[in-house]
Amino acid sequence: MGKERSIELEDFPQAGIYDELLDDQAQPRPVARALFDYFEHIGPAELAARRDAIDAAIMGMGITFTVYSDAGNIDRTWPLDIVPRIISSREWSRVEEGLKQRLTALNLFINDLYNQQRIIKDGVFPLEVLAGSKNFRPQCRGMTPPFGAWAHICGTDLVRDKDGTFYVLEDNLRVPSGVSYMLENRQLIKRLFPELFKSNDILPVDDYPVRLYDTLAALSPRPGERPEIVVLTPGIYNSAYFEHSYLAQKMGATLVEGSDLITGDDDCVYMKTISGLSRVDVVYRRVDDDFLDPEVFRKDSALGVPGLMRAWRAGKVGIANAPGAGVADDKVVYTFVPKIIKYYLGEDAILPNVPSWLCMYDDQRDHVLANLDKLVVKPANESGGYGMLIGPRSTPEERTTFAELIRANPRNYMAQPTLALSTAPTLIDDKLAPRHLDLRPFVLQSDKLYATTGGLTRVALRKGSLVVNSSQGGGSKDTWIINVEEA
Amino acid sequence: MLSRVAENLYWMARYLERAENTARLINSMTQVLLDLPKSAYFGWDLLLQIVGLDCANRERYPQADEDSIMHLLVSDTHNRSSILSCVHLARENARTVREVLPMEIWERINQLFLYVRESAPQAVKSRGPRYEMLNGVIERRESIIGLLSGSMSRDDAHHFMQLGRFVERADMTTRIVDIHFAVHMPDDSALATLTRERSWIGTLTALSAYQAYRRQVGVHVEAAAVTNFILKDRNFPRSVSYCLSELDQALASLPHNDEPLCALQDGRNRLVGTDIAALDWQTMHHFLDKMQADLGKLHSAIAAQYFHLHHTKAAADAAVHND
Repeated sequence: MGKERSIELEDFPQAGIYDELLDDQAQPRPVARALFDYFEHIGPAELAARRDAIDAAIMGMGITFTVYSDAGNIDRTWPLDIVPRIISSREWSRVEEGLKQRLTALNLFINDLYNQQRIIKDGVFPLEVLAGSKNFRPQCRGMTPPFGAWAHICGTDLVRDKDGTFYVLEDNLRVPSGVSYMLENRQLIKRLFPELFKSNDILPVDDYPVRLYDTLAALSPRPGERPEIVVLTPGIYNSAYFEHSYLAQKMGATLVEGSDLITGDDDCVYMKTISGLSRVDVVYRRVDDDFLDPEVFRKDSALGVPGLMRAWRAGKVGIANAPGAGVADDKVVYTFVPKIIKYYLGEDAILPNVPSWLCMYDDQRDHVLANLDKLVVKPANESGGYGMLIGPRSTPEERTTFAELIRANPRNYMAQPTLALSTAPTLIDDKLAPRHLDLRPFVLQSDKLYATTGGLTRVALRKGSLVVNSSQGGGSKDTWIINVEEA
Repeated sequence: MLSRVAENLYWMARYLERAENTARLINSMTQVLLDLPKSAYFGWDLLLQIVGLDCANRERYPQADEDSIMHLLVSDTHNRSSILSCVHLARENARTVREVLPMEIWERINQLFLYVRESAPQAVKSRGPRYEMLNGVIERRESIIGLLSGSMSRDDAHHFMQLGRFVERADMTTRIVDIHFAVHMPDDSALATLTRERSWIGTLTALSAYQAYRRQVGVHVEAAAVTNFILKDRNFPRSVSYCLSELDQALASLPHNDEPLCALQDGRNRLVGTDIAALDWQTMHHFLDKMQADLGKLHSAIAAQYFHLHHTKAAADAAVHND
């Protein structure tokens, strides 16, 4: 039963694409009914006015991110679309289980790689993939961090295909960012639509900083005492500086730069305070491995702390994520994750991978080279959407370049079909139009496992675009997990 | 507290104080000094001497008229003491220490910066919008101070902000007094008396001190009484004496404060030991220079003790024993 709506929909329904809030008749799905009723109730003028209010609030609160290429312009405000993305709690609990399963297996895998390497000896994971890994750190061999956990904070990117199934697109195990925007988005949307929070059973997200604190505190080498936790940032010019500061503040931790820390001859890490040196127990580092410790990794790094690795190996300081955890954050390793889960846990993966072709295998490479115009080709170790080829949008010249790159270094490339990413209605001018999105939940593991309720929904604000990265014109949405009686 | 954070808080507070002081100064000068007779010389360029910018900028602003000096003081991003630069630098310092400040403080400082950036171009061009904009700066700065006073624990972070705020304020007060001794008065003695009085009223207004002065001292505005009030009154919050006792309180709460307290005491001794009324303009100028140097030494002592502490590996080893 179609109902006249005062807020205009544009380009709905769409053929062959799953929309998060509207069904194929452009009618609200059960999870979205209350939202659309509410929008009708307040009307288009009020909706636009609230959008303007939120833009002003974001500007005033100084919620920003940085774009490297914007010389001279340190920060841009964070674009938040006011239409939330909604998932039912029933569906979410299954996803949550899958996320925890995945991180558990990945941590077993990383610990194995740095120790016995059983998975290689058993022929499940090829040695040549490990040998070609940029993020495998021989300096970490023989280490078993507390609880066997290397990746304590994981940002898992999920997408939904046209059939409505969630797929894992990638696992970010190095220094995943975005969680502060998830938290801030909720604060803003609560300010904006307080009525909706009264009438809907929207699960809260704001326990994350406490869970993060507990995850980090469990790594302290001095259990029983109140741990001194620091957030190590590369500094104000880093794109995620806002988040580093935000999380430090929310956890009551100290935000430090490399030059604020020093490693003593006793292998303990200290920070320089107004009353002298003070011992640090846990470093939540938001600095890449390469820059972590100039004694061990890049000699020219001014961002790190000389001796930090020594302190970590001596068990005098906890580091999250552990150095070397990035070995499993590799788009080629990714393709093995279902096998990794089976190998360590004896279970099938709850969340499927996107089907992928590995260029290191001759037959799969031939398929990729023959279908460059249809596939998305990704390098193993880039992040932020850089260095990719999106086949259907590419020029013949770009495809030729990529074919050469692949042939020169096949281990470094994998390819996936172009997914029909799901969309959600997004307020564009004064209409609701479909825009593609993904979802990044954050998963924590040390003594306990935890996954955020929902996560950060990133949305490509340009019509038809599939690139959701904030550095490339993406925005975000508040993500609601709601208890709803399915009709 | 991290040394780096202490330093950023200190500078954040200094820049905020400087922005507000400059706004007050421009407003009061605009109000009062335009009434002066033509034969009295108190041009806009004297403002530059007050804020210590005269030499460095003579080349870039050869004409020294109202427009160009307002540009220099309000919106010139090459001048690190312009109001726009000050609020920008305060914001950049605040941004690196957000985690130790109440959340709303950052928002207010951010909003102050956005406000100045938005309204500065108009304010430079004409007096109406300028007055409004400068008052806007003062009000917003005051709301930040109010928020701090009501919502921030009196912890080390607060002490360092107090240090920055009162070092800057004391320094500015000495400069504002100093400038009057460089004014060329008209030859006509009746006119000179009137002019002098007007300009001292301007000084009091720039420090928001006129009302307090009238209640404490009286309605007659003359040099010795004004300077004595501005420098030595114990209760007026912009007097140098008051600033020094606030600094004393802040330092007293910090660890390892011997050296900075010692530097502060030198300044207090000089102030207490000087009979302000007995100074002529030359000796007054000399005295104010010395006071500014004392404040400079205090700043250096604070920086050496807390910001650039000699942290070495040997010190790290030493720290183990009392861990």
